[in-house]
Amino acid sequence: MIPSFAILQVEAPHFHMPRLWLPLFLLWIPIFLISPLIFIVIFGLSTAGRISPWRAIAVFWSILCALPGTHVHVSTHDSKVLVRIL
Amino acid sequence: MNENRRQILEMLAAGKVTADEAEQLLVALEPDTTATAGTFTGRIPASDPSAESTVKTRAKYLRVLVEANEKGAPTTVNVRVPMQLLRAGVRLASLIPMQAHDELDKTLSRHGIPLTLSQIKPENLEELIDHLEDLSVDVDAREEKAKVRVFCE
Repeated sequence: MIPSFAILQVEAPHFHMPRLWLPLFLLWIPIFLISPLIFIVIFGLSTAGRISPWRAIAVFWSILCALPGTHVHVSTHDSKVLVRIL
Repeated sequence: MNENRRQILEMLAAGKVTADEAEQLLVALEPDTTATAGTFTGRIPASDPSAESTVKTRAKYLRVLVEANEKGAPTTVNVRVPMQLLRAGVRLASLIPMQAHDELDKTLSRHGIPLTLSQIKPENLEELIDHLEDLSVDVDAREEKAKVRVFCE
């Protein structure tokens, strides 16, 4: 399953950001539109590195699909960072 | 036969679960059906209510918890990484061009890591990830007032 939302929260002594829900699924529209360009870049880089472009795409796709469930939370007495991928 | 499968069959033989329940548990243990494995987490009610058994399911996340006390202020780190992401991540190694292997091997050995990348096969990496499920690291440094826990859940 590809990530659909990301939750981001950053708090620092002089900076406070409210908890942001980033709708990652909306990114799929521009990515789909520029997908021919992305494919050309991947093919170019893979050919330069002498690796199979299909394998490269498969690996990056599997990483993307495995991202949901990731949770990172770091807090100190005056700062906090939260990243969650749903 | 792995530990979980044997445990289920022993429970079936002992009459603690019915054949249907055992079949469901075995299906849940299949690698391709990890998504449904969550249904069977925790305690499984057996046909005999007095004899409940616990069946270990596949771990889904690697968890790192750090609690420290820096200069009197508490600091906590809580990281949860899906095991699937680790599996996908180790496949990145297969994208390293062959011509870069020698250079990497030399650099690693120069830094005291005698590792030959070309000898690492994808099945070795899969095995490594599978064995991470049994990993549990607890570090309790009382003088530093820090506690580190690494485990799978």
